[in-house]
Amino acid sequence: MSLLELVGVSVSFGGVAAVSELSLDIEAGEIRGLIGPNGAGKTSLINAITGVVRPIAGRILFAGRDITNLEPDAICRLGIGRTFQHVELFREETVLENVLTGLYRHQAYGTIGAALRLPSARREEAAARDEALTLLDALSLRELEGELPGELPFGIQKRIDMARALAVRPRLLLLDEPVSGMSEAEADATVATARAVAEERGITLLVVEHNMRVMMRLADRITAMHQGRVIADGTPGQIRLDKAVIDAYLGEEADAHA
Amino acid sequence: MASRVDIAAIHRRLAFPAIPKHLALSAALIAVLTLVPLAAGSYHIYLIELALLNVIVAIGLNLLTGNCGQISLCHASFMAIGAYTTALLMTRAGLSYLVALPVGAAAAALLGAGLGFPARRLSGLYLALVTLGFLEIVQIAIEESPDLTGGIRGLSVPRPHILGFHLKSDASVYYLVLAITVAAVTVGANLQRSRFGRAFDAIRQSSFAAQSLGIPPGQIKLLAFSVAAGFAGLAGGLFTIVVGFIDPTEFGISASLRHITFIVVGGLGSVVGSILGAVALTALPELLRGAKEYSDLVYGAILLGTLLFMPRGLKGLWDTLAKLDWRRVKIWP
Amino acid sequence: MSWQIALQLAFSGLSVGSIYALVALALVIPFKASGVLNFAQGEMATLGAYIGLALATNFGLPFLVMVPLTLLVAAGFGVLMERLVVRPIIAAPEFTVVIATFAVGVIIKSAVRVQWQDNLFTLDAPYVGAPIALGPVRLNPAYLVIIAATLSVVGLLTLFFANTKFGKAMRAVAIDQNAARLMGIGVGSVFMSAWALAAAIGALAGLLLAPIIGITPEIGHLILKGLVAAVIGGFTSLGGAVAGGLLLGLLETYAGAFFGATFKNIVPFCILIAILLYKPHGLFGTAAVKRV
Repeated sequence: MSLLELVGVSVSFGGVAAVSELSLDIEAGEIRGLIGPNGAGKTSLINAITGVVRPIAGRILFAGRDITNLEPDAICRLGIGRTFQHVELFREETVLENVLTGLYRHQAYGTIGAALRLPSARREEAAARDEALTLLDALSLRELEGELPGELPFGIQKRIDMARALAVRPRLLLLDEPVSGMSEAEADATVATARAVAEERGITLLVVEHNMRVMMRLADRITAMHQGRVIADGTPGQIRLDKAVIDAYLGEEADAHA
Repeated sequence: MASRVDIAAIHRRLAFPAIPKHLALSAALIAVLTLVPLAAGSYHIYLIELALLNVIVAIGLNLLTGNCGQISLCHASFMAIGAYTTALLMTRAGLSYLVALPVGAAAAALLGAGLGFPARRLSGLYLALVTLGFLEIVQIAIEESPDLTGGIRGLSVPRPHILGFHLKSDASVYYLVLAITVAAVTVGANLQRSRFGRAFDAIRQSSFAAQSLGIPPGQIKLLAFSVAAGFAGLAGGLFTIVVGFIDPTEFGISASLRHITFIVVGGLGSVVGSILGAVALTALPELLRGAKEYSDLVYGAILLGTLLFMPRGLKGLWDTLAKLDWRRVKIWP
Repeated sequence: MSWQIALQLAFSGLSVGSIYALVALALVIPFKASGVLNFAQGEMATLGAYIGLALATNFGLPFLVMVPLTLLVAAGFGVLMERLVVRPIIAAPEFTVVIATFAVGVIIKSAVRVQWQDNLFTLDAPYVGAPIALGPVRLNPAYLVIIAATLSVVGLLTLFFANTKFGKAMRAVAIDQNAARLMGIGVGSVFMSAWALAAAIGALAGLLLAPIIGITPEIGHLILKGLVAAVIGGFTSLGGAVAGGLLLGLLETYAGAFFGATFKNIVPFCILIAILLYKPHGLFGTAAVKRV
């Protein structure tokens, strides 16, 4: 059984179709790339999966369960994490606090425990702090734990966003342009980290990325979208040579030059 | 480039009890407050009691507004509900103050949840209007049920007995208020640096991102509303024995604005700010003793001035001064 | 209830409602233009009444000179408030904006109290006199003037927004600020005029009310009813605000006659909460309320 299954999903904004009758299967453990020219509907698809926008048609199944009409926080609690194209960090909290916030749902102590700072709450807080620091270490952010994210370079903010999304311990993680704003070296390091963390923790990844070089190295399999539909699906090698994909990207370039 | 801060802030949230400096400061403050009845006259004791219960209101409101980002213009109503429930349970039902006080706070918390539940989808301006409407309804309900509440003539509350001990001296009431305030401040500070405090901050800054982390905004706002209302209700219950008399004029929109002024002037989202603001502004009428009629005017001007020129309040000022390198400050040119 | 009484109640309801409609208009106009709800708007009515009082008693100005002068001074005050308070914080969080306008209200009210204390003052208006009998209904001339003045304000506003260049510019800004800016409309001056206009309308409400209920620093309490009226009207529609005001006036008057004063006092706020929770676009409005 697929971990994530989309059946005929359509998303529209004010009558304009962003995603049209799209079907997609993602197997547990794979790293799936999602490419396509601007406006292909990639971010809309992520928003539909995470419950931020409601599809007008179709069903979304996660681990066999219908999540089509759930609230975003309920979807997260089932095990889907995400990062944001334009990072949505808590700007007035430190990097460490951002990641700690991601651990909210894995802490069990209640309001009484919190109010009285009972031993159970203290223990959980200490454990959460350790886990958050481990994640910061994994993404080479440890020395920035006390910084406010708004003042850091965009590439670093993207990494903080990823650390925070990993803190929810997702089974499926949706990464929206995870290496934008990064230098090549930085992007390579981040990709290597993402792969390693995903393998180590058994996380399935769905990655939206413009950077084809990165995508070729990261993804097991790539799905190409154009105008809200899937136009190709295959290994990175197949996708690189696919005529429909090349046409879609060339068309975009032609538009850009027109 | 990035500025290297605010290690102090992290420690405050993560390891507050382990920091001897804070602990020492708190202990010293409590020690001084314990000695007050030995030195001060009953008027000054009364003023400090008012300041303490204002601290309780401010701490609760700051969790709701400063941390969770929700406007409440009806905090005075929550205080009224606590005050009237406590007073009526004592005078009419003959319950002990020790029972009536927590029940009053719980009643306020419950009403806070009752208001927070339908209002959890609203924010900003809409929430301001709903809470303003709620304030008026509570105000009218108190005024127009004189048989129960004494209406506009108010309600006298005698000094209570606690476990057979009559709180008839000023000092005994004072120590009760002080003990409850210390407990309330501790609870407020604990909540703020717990996972719930982080969820409050998350909802304020980006409800969208908070939801992506599995934090349910509706539940969290509801929690913030009931905690804040509970704190206000507790302060209301204390108010009944500190002042000995309650009437609806104490719980109108100007009281709500006063509560907001505490946290704005003190510093939004900060426990220390709540304390600074509540204490400074309770002392203000005392400083303006020679010009009483100007006191509301000064209040309004301080509120507006802080919003315009010092949005981080006294706490922000404190932090700025603490970070200054004094050796490099030239006071004399 | 006989139809005579019903008619009499309708007349009082409409006149009270006219005042609510004016305050609602004064709330909605700057909200549409600049996205800021002025919680000090009630104090603009207070200010209007006291400025009128000062001009009439201290300077002995005749009523017909005093009224336009009062509106002018109030408009100036609206400009000052927009410039000094609202504009510096227009990009701040909504909380800041709400509380800042509240603070201005507190300042005005307490300044008025410092100057005039809590005394009740009366303002003489030449039209105050014995009720005119029209069939079975007795029409108080002061109420008639309120209705007439509100109708004229609504008429003038309609003409202003439909026909003048500046009125059209204000509408353009309300619809889409950025597009208006690109069209070369001075958004800043539109904001300022909206605040001036609203302050003047608020002051007019105070002036009209003064001969009936007298002048105290508590006139500003009127804002609550104005808010309810504006919410009924959907908050972004001028027609809705007027209709909301009249509807609220009628509702209150009939509710008071049938169920007594407590009910009358509490009903507007129950309506306010119910609409905000279940029908946030008002009874007539459809547009979404969004801050600019």
